[in-house]
Amino acid sequence: MIDLHMHTIVSDGTDTPEEIIARVREAGIGLFSVTDHDAVKGAKRILSVRTAEDPAFLTGVEFSCRDEEGKYHILGYGYDPDAEPIRRVVDLGHGYRMNKVKARLDFLSTQFGFQFPEKDLQALFALDNPGKPHIGNLMVKHGYAKTKEEAIRDYIDKLRFRSEYVRPEEAIEGILGSGGIPVLAHPVYGSGGQLILGDEMDKRLRRLTDFGLQGVEAFYSGFTAKLRAQMLAFAAQYGLYVTAGSDYHGSNKLVSLGDTGLGDPNEWPEGLKRFLTDVKA
Amino acid sequence: MKIELKGRIDSNNAPQIEKEIMEQLAGQNDASVVLDASGLEYISSAGLRVILRLRKTYPELSITGVNSEVYEILDMTGFTEMMRVEKAYRVVSVEGCEEIGRGANGTIYRIDQDNVVKVYNNADALEDIQHEREVAKLALILGIPTAISYDVVKVGESYGSVFELLNARSFSKILANEPEKMDWCVKEYVALLRTIHSTAVPEGKLPDNREWFIAAVKQVMDYLPEVAGKKLLGMVEAIPRSDHMLHGDYHTKNIELQNDEVLLIDMDTLAVGDPIFELAGMFNAFIGFSEMDHQVILDFQGFDHETAETFWHKTLSAYLETNCETKIREVEDKARILGYTRMIRRSIRRGGLDTEAGRAQIDFWKERLLKLLEETDTLTFSFNELELEAVPEKLEEVQAFVDERLERADCPPKAQMQIGVAVEEIFINIASYAYAPERGTATVRVEVSEDPVTVTVTFVDHGMPYDPLAREDPNINLPAERREAGGLGIFMTKKLMDDVSYEYCDGKNILTLRKEL
Repeated sequence: MIDLHMHTIVSDGTDTPEEIIARVREAGIGLFSVTDHDAVKGAKRILSVRTAEDPAFLTGVEFSCRDEEGKYHILGYGYDPDAEPIRRVVDLGHGYRMNKVKARLDFLSTQFGFQFPEKDLQALFALDNPGKPHIGNLMVKHGYAKTKEEAIRDYIDKLRFRSEYVRPEEAIEGILGSGGIPVLAHPVYGSGGQLILGDEMDKRLRRLTDFGLQGVEAFYSGFTAKLRAQMLAFAAQYGLYVTAGSDYHGSNKLVSLGDTGLGDPNEWPEGLKRFLTDVKA
Repeated sequence: MKIELKGRIDSNNAPQIEKEIMEQLAGQNDASVVLDASGLEYISSAGLRVILRLRKTYPELSITGVNSEVYEILDMTGFTEMMRVEKAYRVVSVEGCEEIGRGANGTIYRIDQDNVVKVYNNADALEDIQHEREVAKLALILGIPTAISYDVVKVGESYGSVFELLNARSFSKILANEPEKMDWCVKEYVALLRTIHSTAVPEGKLPDNREWFIAAVKQVMDYLPEVAGKKLLGMVEAIPRSDHMLHGDYHTKNIELQNDEVLLIDMDTLAVGDPIFELAGMFNAFIGFSEMDHQVILDFQGFDHETAETFWHKTLSAYLETNCETKIREVEDKARILGYTRMIRRSIRRGGLDTEAGRAQIDFWKERLLKLLEETDTLTFSFNELELEAVPEKLEEVQAFVDERLERADCPPKAQMQIGVAVEEIFINIASYAYAPERGTATVRVEVSEDPVTVTVTFVDHGMPYDPLAREDPNINLPAERREAGGLGIFMTKKLMDDVSYEYCDGKNILTLRKEL
């Protein structure tokens, strides 16, 4: 069994890198990758703590990208985590994210008068990946909202702004430049909330493969057989690698490790076999 | 365990909703989880993933009350194949909508420019709707132009099925408003009827009208004199089975003109059987129901009794491809027998015997039925057969009937003339001698066969046995003063035809003329 898409506490998962290794082993997964949002720290950590008895591992990352045409999650596999190109993408994303957090905090302060102690703010900015949930938690802690969901819905989301994002070609170039393979995550769902099918998907893939995209995550815990079949057809049409991931987030999501929809290894598509041969462990 | 989904489920609230669902399900042993989506307006992929995860934990998961937009998403993404998804029925009001059709099982209203809804009388009509959809599909596959419903809606306490019917007008409307289009309507109406009747239906796909009529006669028999009832049953049972399609409610409200296309609607009565069953229903629709009170047809079809009579008569004439009144009358009488039977049964079932008006109506139909039963022996008819009184005055009708058939077969004028001479000789012979001094009937049948194209005209009478061919041919070489007056007609007939044969069988004289074209 393989599972190439999961998150640790470095982004929005609930398992530490150490815990996730134990769980992967327990689940009987033979090859795994940790793909935290816009961060390579989780993957680096796994590299440094795993032992020879642990399941095989691929470095991974999931970049949130956006351009005029839409939003994308782009996975990178088998890259060198110390390479300059991928570090630049991570820093770029991190910088944008920090700007966004600052803009949100300013908004909450001027619009609603919500103030937070300096100590909490420092802890917030020290996070690798601070975002809406973290600000929401702070609001609950200080009595500005009853729940994190209420905080996001009634306050944080009242600010609508065009923030800066890593562009897909920047992510793809960073991954390729560091020896990795760029793969489009859960393609049908875009960045998570969309439904991209048929012609729209075709257009999207034509565009991203022009940038250097090399694979699609055709096996995904949230795909039905119909969606999977559609992605496999696209992979064959574009000659792309095929990958499989659950998008496990620990207790933050009801997905279990290894839930990818991938069946008997004898029936694995050619694109997946090729990926496993070509990717650098 | 039922869980309600409300409003929107998107990436903003999906985790929260998932958490709430898990809390509701915690400690539940009930494996069958039903998501009630009647309040669900929108679902994004984040919401789909919540459902998918639930499905993985609860394989029996089902979703009910899904609106059209959400259904489309579930269908597009393959969720409808993975779990039971029940669509919510759109609620449609037909208040103030124009009624464009009315059949045995429902009424059709126009709900907007492009759409009509058929509201079923039966409150629990989902099965009927399914049935009609299936038979309409079957008809379409077999080449009958019809509309297939694309949506099921709730109309008050009943259900309706929605059809797209753009700029369509029923033939009833055309007849009511544009009387000059009468002949065009007849032509199209009959063309479609012939298409239906010439369509063979695979066995078991549609109910058999013959069975229905046999059962109907058995119900009506108790109210008829014994002899008449038995005769009626025998006649219906003698109608051969047929696998050809019948519409079952073929009147002008069920024929729509959409742009230039003629469409058949209201398909739930589709059946198989002999065309006489169809003609019986048509007789009722145009004449039978309103025979006693002419206001009925005006209320129902929007045109008056006179228009209905003309349309019905022209339709029969075109359908039978004859202007021969005797032929039209013959088939109409058969249709009337079944038509009255059907109306009497219907009225009795609806408590007609309990009211004075109902009894008057039943007596009115019964009187006509009994009279027809005395005059008629069979309920089948043939397009190429004419039965009439064997009297010389009927010759013109016989010749016109034979000519119509010959013209249909593209018979050359010379051969047509020759056949005409032969027909005259033989018919006059029968009319003059077969029953003299009594009277009786003769049947004339015209058949055209291929390869080589051959016309066969057969005369049948029940008169005294007589072989006209047995007579010696007149000697045409004799001088005029020594020639006999008789025998020339038969002689000419033999000369003009390729073959003339005679047999006496079952009390019938059967004379056959054969001519190759």
